[in-house]
Amino acid sequence: MVTISELRPGRKAPAPPARVRIKPSRGYRVFQVVNAVILIGVVVATLYPFVNILAQSFSSESAIRQGSVNLIPHGFNLTTYKTVMKDSTFWTNYRNTVEYTVVATFISMVLTTCYAYVLSKHHLKGRSVLIGIAVFTMFFNGGLIPNYVLVSQLGLRNTLWAIVLPNAINVFNLLVMKAFFESLPGELEEAAAVDGLTTYGILWRIVLPLSKAVIATMILFYAVSFWNSWFSAFLYMDRSDLFPVTVYLRNLIAGATGAGGMNEGTSSDTSLQVAASIQAVTVVLTVIPILSIYPFIQKYFVSGVMLGAVKG
Amino acid sequence: MNGPFTKNTLSRRQALFGAAGIAALAVAGCSNSSGGKSGGDLSGNRDGAMAKYGVGDQFKATSPLTFSIMVLSNPGYPYDAKWPFWSELTKRTNVSFQPTVVPLSDYNQKRSVMVGAGDAPTIIPKTYHPAEEAYIASGAILPVSDYLDLMPNFKDKVAKWNLQGDLDQLREADGKYYLLPGLHQDVWADYSIAVRTDILQKLNIAVPQTWDDVHAMLRTMKAAYPNQYPLSDRWSSPGPGPGANRLMATLGDAYGTWAGWNYQHSWWDATAGKFVYTGAMDQYKQVLQYLNTLVSEKLMDPESLTQTDDQAKQKWANGQTFVISTNAQEVINTLRKDIAHIPGATVAKIPVPMGPMGATKTGFRTENGVMISAKARNSKNFVAMMQFIDWLWYSDAGELFAKWGIEGTTYTGSVDDGTFKLAPDVTWAGLNPSGTQNLQVKYGFFNGVFAYGGSTKLLDSQFPPEELAFQNVMNGRRTLPLPPPHPLSADQREQATLWETNLLDYVDQQSAKFILGQRPLSQWDQYVTELKGRNSDQYINLINQAYQSYKQKHG
Repeated sequence: MVTISELRPGRKAPAPPARVRIKPSRGYRVFQVVNAVILIGVVVATLYPFVNILAQSFSSESAIRQGSVNLIPHGFNLTTYKTVMKDSTFWTNYRNTVEYTVVATFISMVLTTCYAYVLSKHHLKGRSVLIGIAVFTMFFNGGLIPNYVLVSQLGLRNTLWAIVLPNAINVFNLLVMKAFFESLPGELEEAAAVDGLTTYGILWRIVLPLSKAVIATMILFYAVSFWNSWFSAFLYMDRSDLFPVTVYLRNLIAGATGAGGMNEGTSSDTSLQVAASIQAVTVVLTVIPILSIYPFIQKYFVSGVMLGAVKG
Repeated sequence: MNGPFTKNTLSRRQALFGAAGIAALAVAGCSNSSGGKSGGDLSGNRDGAMAKYGVGDQFKATSPLTFSIMVLSNPGYPYDAKWPFWSELTKRTNVSFQPTVVPLSDYNQKRSVMVGAGDAPTIIPKTYHPAEEAYIASGAILPVSDYLDLMPNFKDKVAKWNLQGDLDQLREADGKYYLLPGLHQDVWADYSIAVRTDILQKLNIAVPQTWDDVHAMLRTMKAAYPNQYPLSDRWSSPGPGPGANRLMATLGDAYGTWAGWNYQHSWWDATAGKFVYTGAMDQYKQVLQYLNTLVSEKLMDPESLTQTDDQAKQKWANGQTFVISTNAQEVINTLRKDIAHIPGATVAKIPVPMGPMGATKTGFRTENGVMISAKARNSKNFVAMMQFIDWLWYSDAGELFAKWGIEGTTYTGSVDDGTFKLAPDVTWAGLNPSGTQNLQVKYGFFNGVFAYGGSTKLLDSQFPPEELAFQNVMNGRRTLPLPPPHPLSADQREQATLWETNLLDYVDQQSAKFILGQRPLSQWDQYVTELKGRNSDQYINLINQAYQSYKQKHG
């Protein structure tokens, strides 16, 4: 308490009382500890397989066979990396993956953004039909063989377009973008129109710059899904130099372990097993690009999924 | 607001159009080119074919031809367009391939899609019976048995090696078969059990000859190493079988039944002259009994039925187990390498132990083979194609070429007199380990798509001396006859498949329980009744009916 005597001029004002810290209740502290333990457990469980594969990729084959490789490489060597990186098919396929991902993401983004923007305008005639068409495809699908026949007869087989076009618009992403565009205040666009911007001008100069978060999120969603996709490429590509690296990887791993049991007896090639270290190295090399980008963009993921969920 | 989703009733017109549309789609999906004439007039299809082509002739097309083919890319030796195999083949036969490359991991699926879409390549190899049955109804594949006159080498081998009975296994209800299988002169026994021979020596155990000997050997090993399971097996997936499926198959052969990977629902009882349900047989019970004894005496690791191959191999590599199922390749590629770090450890694959069936072996001398698209029948190069397939897959020269390559470049000598040797720098599996050029990876020979089957001499040329010793013992065993054909019609097959799926699940489940002791074998009769409740009787009656009707129609 400050007394009158202490207020006499010349004396410095006394320091304000120290900030009172609210002591967390015991219940809250217990929660914090338990929470931390559980989350650390989840992190360990999620990280362990990856660290294990990383360790295997640097280990010697015999150490892996004995099962002695856990988190640290045994028999550290780089020969497996050298072997895989010398394989020209691996790099061809890697280049294909990058190519397909970049082109597909670009096209998907353009198409999705345009479609979503258009759908966000309530005064569009036939809007409900357009939405209906998109939503319909979420529930119904032509089936594997009709899709194959369609793509085949359009002459898209063995081209990049067989991977890019059929999967260009993901309806979930479309709806999220539409909701986001709807949440932008209409007055902004009206003001821009008053100033003389055309529809395309509004889209390009007003709406898109405001949508950076949702665009970054969608780019990431699409890029990751195209990077990981193998099925379209496997189905529509007939030449091994057109496969993406995911098909290469799948052949290495699934091909090595799944031999037709009852027929194995007489076929000499099904008993070939690709070394576990080669599998591990290929996995690591395939995952590295996405892994390097993720930490820098993952904040968009978190905010991006909720975008447009709350209006106003 | 009006829209397509607010109306909740379709007008009659819409319903009619919808129905017509669906019907049209369904019909359009059917292939509109069936096999065309079967057998029949081939005068319009002889372009490029040799006028005179017989056994021992080198096939060479009279004009350059190209055939589309599905090529499986094995990750161990991935497809390479620059393989000498392709160029040398074109040089010798004037035929080049237009390949559709498919990864091994999903070969069957892509084949199904392509054939279903009517877009499949002309030649579809790597097809395991009965996979071709799925494509017969749509008319997408050729009934090859109608065209054997175009394939002299195929017919010659069938006659020479008495393969008619094996081929009959592939016949469908119409009496034809739709797959050109790989042909072996003799049953190729490859699988058996591998044992740590240094442990045998140390404990003074003789190499077991019978399954009782194996039991005694395991007991001795357990007595010396009480804290370990001497046997921990692998190959528990895929099925069929409850786990340790290769071991079960081997035991099945020894006891006179089908088990594990060899499991088939019907067993031909020659004395009774009819088929019986395998899962209910006494001999099947004996197999389960044998394994149950091993498990209860703690000689076999119960995890054998469920663990992954990697886990089983790890136990082997750590020296915790001494016995495991194997084939020739695995001994060299895996087992020996795994124990290389244990001083003095040695491993050998022992001749298959014998059971009540004695010194016999079971097996099929046909293996995976080639399907041909039905639309090839109308191509003007059809005859040339059949002759080409006959040469590459069934002639002695073609088989030798596909397997070992070019004399002077990849090998020297001959397989017929034992002088065969790989070229100094060429290596394959256990042969010529010091070579740097792998026959499959660098040259494209011994590719599983083209090289399989053949005479016993051709087969023996790929074995290192230890495997040859094994083969000599097995060749001395009598090959048991195969069951008579009992093909089902499409409807019967559908019904049978429904029953089979249900039954197999139950048999596998209960077999696992019996082996692990979770269900006592004294409940066997109850189990048989449960099988009957799952239509095992109806199933077997169906099979027996099919057998009788085939016998009447085709003798």
